[in-house]
Amino acid sequence: MTDNRRPTTTFSTIGKSVAMIDAAEKTTGAGKYADDLSLPGMLIGKILHSPYPHARIKSIDTSRAEALEGVIAVVIGPDAPNPFGILPVGHDEHALALDKVRYVGDNVACVVAVSESIAEKALELVDVEYELLPAYFDPEESMRAETDLIHDNKPHNVEKDYHHAFGDPEKAFAEADYVAEGRFLANEVTHAAMEPHSTLASFELDPHTGKPGRLIVWSSTQVPYYLQHKLSLVLEMPMQQIRVIKPLVGGGFGGKSEVIPLEIIAAIAARKAKAPVKITYTREEVFWAHRGRPRTIVDLKTAVKNDGRITAVKARVVQDGGAYCSYGVVTILYSGALLGALYDIPNIQYDGYRVLTNKPACGAMRGHGTVNVRFAFESQLDEIAAHLKLDPAEIRRRNLLQPPCITINGLRVQSYGLPECIDQVVTRAKWTERKGKLPKNRGLGIACSHYVSGAANSIIRSDMPHSTVNIKIDRDGGVVVYTGASDIGQGSDTMVAQVTAEVLGCSLSRVHVVAADTDLTPIDIGSYSSRVTFMNGNATLRAAEEVKKQIAAAAAKKMGCAPEDLAFRDDSVKKSSITTDALVASALSTQPSVSGRVEGQILRGSLQQKRKDEGPKDSMSFEEAVVAAIDFHGALTGTGSYAPPPEARGGKHKGAGVGPSPAYSYSAQVAEVTVDEDTGEVTVHKVWAAHDCGRALNPVSVEGQVIGSVWMGMGQALTEEMVWKNGMLMNPGLLEYRSPSSVESPEVEAIIVESIDPEGPFGAKESSEGSLAATIPAISNAIYDAVGVRLHECPFTPERVLAALRTKKSAKSLNLTEGVDPTSPVRFREHGGALWFKGKGPERHALDPARRTIHAEGGAD
Amino acid sequence: MKKQLLELTINGRTHELASEPNALLLDVLRVDLGLTGSKRGCDDSSCGACTVMVDGTPMLSCTLLAASCEGQSITTIEGISEHGSLAAIQKAYGDWGGAQCGYCTPGFIITVKHLLAENPDPKDEDIRSALSSNLCRCTGYTQMYQAIKAAIDAEKKGLASM
Amino acid sequence: MSLSEFQLLRPRSIEEAVGLLSQHADRIRVLAGGTDLIPSMRQKLFEPQYILDVRHLSQLRGIHTQAGEGVEIGALTSLREIEQSTFLRKHYPVLTQAAATVASPVLRNMGTIGGNICLDTRCLWYNQSLQWRKGCGFCIKKDGDLCHVAPGGTKCWAVFSGDTPPALLCLQAEVEIAGPSGIKRLPLSEFYTGIGDNYRKLASNELLTRIFLPQSSAGYNGIYRKLRVRGSIDYPLAGVALVMRRSNAHIADARVAITAVNPAPLLVQGAAEALNGQSITAELADKVGVLAAKTAKPLTTSALTPEYRREMIRVFTKRALLEVTGGG
Repeated sequence: MTDNRRPTTTFSTIGKSVAMIDAAEKTTGAGKYADDLSLPGMLIGKILHSPYPHARIKSIDTSRAEALEGVIAVVIGPDAPNPFGILPVGHDEHALALDKVRYVGDNVACVVAVSESIAEKALELVDVEYELLPAYFDPEESMRAETDLIHDNKPHNVEKDYHHAFGDPEKAFAEADYVAEGRFLANEVTHAAMEPHSTLASFELDPHTGKPGRLIVWSSTQVPYYLQHKLSLVLEMPMQQIRVIKPLVGGGFGGKSEVIPLEIIAAIAARKAKAPVKITYTREEVFWAHRGRPRTIVDLKTAVKNDGRITAVKARVVQDGGAYCSYGVVTILYSGALLGALYDIPNIQYDGYRVLTNKPACGAMRGHGTVNVRFAFESQLDEIAAHLKLDPAEIRRRNLLQPPCITINGLRVQSYGLPECIDQVVTRAKWTERKGKLPKNRGLGIACSHYVSGAANSIIRSDMPHSTVNIKIDRDGGVVVYTGASDIGQGSDTMVAQVTAEVLGCSLSRVHVVAADTDLTPIDIGSYSSRVTFMNGNATLRAAEEVKKQIAAAAAKKMGCAPEDLAFRDDSVKKSSITTDALVASALSTQPSVSGRVEGQILRGSLQQKRKDEGPKDSMSFEEAVVAAIDFHGALTGTGSYAPPPEARGGKHKGAGVGPSPAYSYSAQVAEVTVDEDTGEVTVHKVWAAHDCGRALNPVSVEGQVIGSVWMGMGQALTEEMVWKNGMLMNPGLLEYRSPSSVESPEVEAIIVESIDPEGPFGAKESSEGSLAATIPAISNAIYDAVGVRLHECPFTPERVLAALRTKKSAKSLNLTEGVDPTSPVRFREHGGALWFKGKGPERHALDPARRTIHAEGGAD
Repeated sequence: MKKQLLELTINGRTHELASEPNALLLDVLRVDLGLTGSKRGCDDSSCGACTVMVDGTPMLSCTLLAASCEGQSITTIEGISEHGSLAAIQKAYGDWGGAQCGYCTPGFIITVKHLLAENPDPKDEDIRSALSSNLCRCTGYTQMYQAIKAAIDAEKKGLASM
Repeated sequence: MSLSEFQLLRPRSIEEAVGLLSQHADRIRVLAGGTDLIPSMRQKLFEPQYILDVRHLSQLRGIHTQAGEGVEIGALTSLREIEQSTFLRKHYPVLTQAAATVASPVLRNMGTIGGNICLDTRCLWYNQSLQWRKGCGFCIKKDGDLCHVAPGGTKCWAVFSGDTPPALLCLQAEVEIAGPSGIKRLPLSEFYTGIGDNYRKLASNELLTRIFLPQSSAGYNGIYRKLRVRGSIDYPLAGVALVMRRSNAHIADARVAITAVNPAPLLVQGAAEALNGQSITAELADKVGVLAAKTAKPLTTSALTPEYRREMIRVFTKRALLEVTGGG
């Protein structure tokens, strides 16, 4: 199937596995990440964070800190009071707190000093007086709050709620043969990218005024353009006076897809300290900056007919969003919208609540919005299959979409590789032969998922293209691509180079990519929601075609043919009638001398004369063709841009802007697990993951993205969880927040399915996120297959699995202090508003303000 | 705090520098010597991104005092390339997708270099176990195994052709 | 996170080291592998004025056997050396097994057996940054007098989280301690106090120098089981060590020790009595498992709930007994 569609000879670079163009920088350690940079006279900034989850700031006294030798400046909220936030509707953050702190870890002040250790010392000398406020840690309790709201303009601490009904869900539920209902709970996880956030900010002196002029910022960001925009807003500087440069970024996964406070604080600090300032988060601060996947309660109801056809879905979703909006409004909308576009569901009701709590803000994380709801949905579908005695793979096949189509909630689906994904994993895992026949406590589970290839509507409401790419080719035949796309390790620079090389028929080494520098590269809205290959790839394709057109016109003239008759391949331009063999032979015999000669001709500027002497040819080298096109003028340039087509931009209902995408990726997975009945430990032996990425531009990279997604999903399924006690994050480090090590990471077999999207660049869609969501339910369903227990709360830690096993056996139950029964999520309740922060327990640490008070009053130590 | 004179042998060269007694090897490498290939990824000695070899044994440079390493021979990622070219393992990591964001890569390369020095033909479980010192958040490790096997093959071919 | 300021002292002999310890007692910490001390210093759990760097005291490195007299292990011997020692694997397998589970290969290259014995007790409320600990008002083990784990109590429940000590307890190991008044030797079982914030009997002017494994413990079959969430880079959340010598179908001698569920690693009292002279059955294994679980008093100091960790002590003990007899 795939092979029929995959052209065998058409492409020279596309579809071939190539090393990333920056691979050597990474494997030698030569590449520079933000924290690797330094400037002469650079100072170090350190941020003071709130020790309280919810408090009013009565006063900040920085004088003792400022007096410390080596401290250059102390920055506080009023130094840059303008609010900001990633969403235009969510400008609720300040670089540093103005009047209130809203979570343990909220940003209060920043000390700039000549060294890290002095800055750290000075942090202890900033005196902040707080008035403690009642805090909210449980979203359902937070929703009942009447007073002491987290943000005054958000009644009941609800950031946003949406209520959608498509079709006639009530009728469908009334007419259903079977209705499954359950509560699912997904605990909070975070990106844990290996590189902690880091920003270096520096002002250039303006030669005309003699004063600080332009701001240059190097930052670990997925969104240089948004950063430039928010810096402009907070620092009250015009955008053109700000240059944002993205160095190598050590992983993002969404955690760097919005403007993180340190990025703005570094700039404010550099302004106040009058020197370059670098701030790099500690790992603990990364956890406080967070923006990960919120803890989510999903109350899900699915109506089916006896044949397994889904007739309606009803979901009530509550997300524990933390103290600020972040991407929250988008997250809660994705959770509803992406109920559609995977299966054919004729009736959908969705009630989503994004709730504020006194914890770090949640935001976008790989699989943004869809993952936790997909866990619930695919688990419930498995329950339904069991109830109806249907094969879990079969029930999924019975609910496929029939594209091209527009779903009931307004999502346009064109390419749809899901059926083939299911076939592939069923075949590779020997599903039919092995399901139900494995040894005791070993099982197989299947699940599906999908994701957008970028949002059809950008978060900034504007008609500008989402991506623009410039290409410049000069007389040396070097192709330089200027792209705003942010490579964060996913390989977008390489994608851009490959697309360019393919269109121009040149070798990859001829293409140089200049990326993500707001002075040099056109606006691109960033690397998130898996938009880069589709959107920036299309823009690159168009830019390359534009320069190709110019080259072809000139070459055709030289060669005495129509431009359409020319083929660009193997670093040459030839008439299409010439066979490849002949071309290769001619290239072999002439290329070295040609290239040497061309160099000489460029210097003399008399190539045209030379060409006339030689008469028309059947082929030209790439350099010759370029020089012909440039003639005696300057470099060749071309621009391409991409904006999603209006048809793909979704419906008209409130919130319809989130969910629509020009194309969706699809994934089906089978997981094989063993469960230890005595310990509850789950071992994942293997995951087969088939991913429809439209077309794999760089297969090794696509496989890497799919494997990485599956693996990250496995982390959320088994080990990863942010543990909270009264607003304190108990595991703010990589030791206690356990992303899997190599030992327990299973083999993942990535299977590429190519549905060739009609609008994707060479048919490509996303490959980096869509596979994550299926892994959690695939593992959950495999656990069910292995030992017959259905887990409603992830991660499936050994104790949760064991508790479920004991409940099933009605054996001596395991009395866990923290609830695992999904119908009474004790863990949620346990957090509710208990406020022992109010001075309970005499504090003794020399640095604690409470102690100083006691001393002042003559109290005992 | 008063700095003290320190002599460190790094990648075969001796460096003399003044450093505070509480300076960690990682900071001296990165800040004083500009060898920024070793990375900081955590603060609790868990991630392995800062791994260097000390007298041929992989250790965490974030957990060593620089002054305590006087007299020992330190190899960082910058000392891994051979004769100005990529070492086989570096090439293979690029070709096989062993590095995505690249932040953990220097630590892994050091770990794998040591593994292959001790055991040129490791079994799958030896590789899996050796890699468990370092955390990677991008790859899920699978493509690293492919890269390591490719590097072993390349080394074998290289030896055969010599 | 930088370390607080200190002077680095690098003694060239044990005598010099002990002298420096005596001179600076209470203001000095010993640096061996550094894998426990350095992260703790980042978190400002320790802010000593002096660091005694003993990394290079080669006299305290190595595994030395003397015919008929057991084994002497230098305190600075790396966990990796112990894990890879063919001699220890043959004669004291429980120790190599336990050593092989510590943290990760690189951390075992650095970490020492002495350090693993002296490992500071751990708690989620304690092993946090200064800034974090301020947020909870500190705790009884460091800077505060409130225990968050057992509120109202005045005892610190920080949990001992070393992997090798339960194995060493089973092997009836002794430790050698050098101090101002000379050298003393005491059974490892007397080294720990069971109090989280004052967990070991090692004065600030003393240095743990050697570990002795008696000849009488050689040749015992052994097994170590560790509860961990991640397959690597994890402290134990519960651990069970078991050694056994059999004669014919009966158990001649057996010992069980547990870790990571109390402020000290503990030999399970009564286990030997229950096992010796018996042949193993599922019932007996379970009985000893229950005994071990009763010895465990885990609290919410770590990931996973206390109930689960205690239950795993039971399951692991039972399994270890069945496995060691099945295989031996």
